[in-house]
Amino acid sequence: MRSIIGEIVNESTDLTLMDMEASIEHMSRGTVRHIDKLLVVVEPYYRALETAGRIVPLAQELGINEIYAIANKIRSADDEQAVQSYCSNHHLNVIAMLPFDENVLAADRAGQAILDYNRTSPVVAKLTAVADLLQRQAAA
Amino acid sequence: MKIAISGKGGAGKTTISATLARLFARQGVPVLAIDGDPNPNLSRALGMDTDNLAAIPRSIVERRTDESGAVKLALNTSPADIIRQYGLQAPDGVTLLLGSRVDHAGAG
Repeated sequence: MRSIIGEIVNESTDLTLMDMEASIEHMSRGTVRHIDKLLVVVEPYYRALETAGRIVPLAQELGINEIYAIANKIRSADDEQAVQSYCSNHHLNVIAMLPFDENVLAADRAGQAILDYNRTSPVVAKLTAVADLLQRQAAA
Repeated sequence: MKIAISGKGGAGKTTISATLARLFARQGVPVLAIDGDPNPNLSRALGMDTDNLAAIPRSIVERRTDESGAVKLALNTSPADIIRQYGLQAPDGVTLLLGSRVDHAGAG
């Protein structure tokens, strides 16, 4: 199935966004060979950071050139610092720091998309900036 | 632009994927979102009604034996047709493909 997904990604003429298995062992050349950018979601906790640290060399080996960390659930300057320091040590650029946002949990509890639940929420604002940044990079 | 989003489970990957997909779509860009997670939650995060979402049927692939006798799965439907036929409509015009499992129940 994974190389079939890879073919679909390759043939797609649309902006394609793939939510991938968290288990990096399943990332293969088949699924990711046509991926331009990999965003690795991290939280300011060691296990999430270490997962990212393992994904990066694997993704590079599989030919993905642009890899970014996107930090989530940031509650303090210490959290930011922890993420930034880990990422710097692992040659990982941080594309954005998303704040811990109560709206996300509330939306999830309501069974709704965060965009529908509260489009003015801080996470939505930050992700809007991320989308703009990615579009500008692609246009450059 | 083709983006993959990964990370440890629970870190927010699906919320971020779904939100980015819809934000790009709101800029007027056609967006294909693929749920490659074996625990498929992208549809809910996109804001879809998740009852009765049809998985891609098994009939899109067939077993073929190559010259060396190895049996492989190959697509017998083009990727474009798969997207057209099995892509689900999500809010803001995002097309969602449930990519993590293929329905074994039969031809769709």
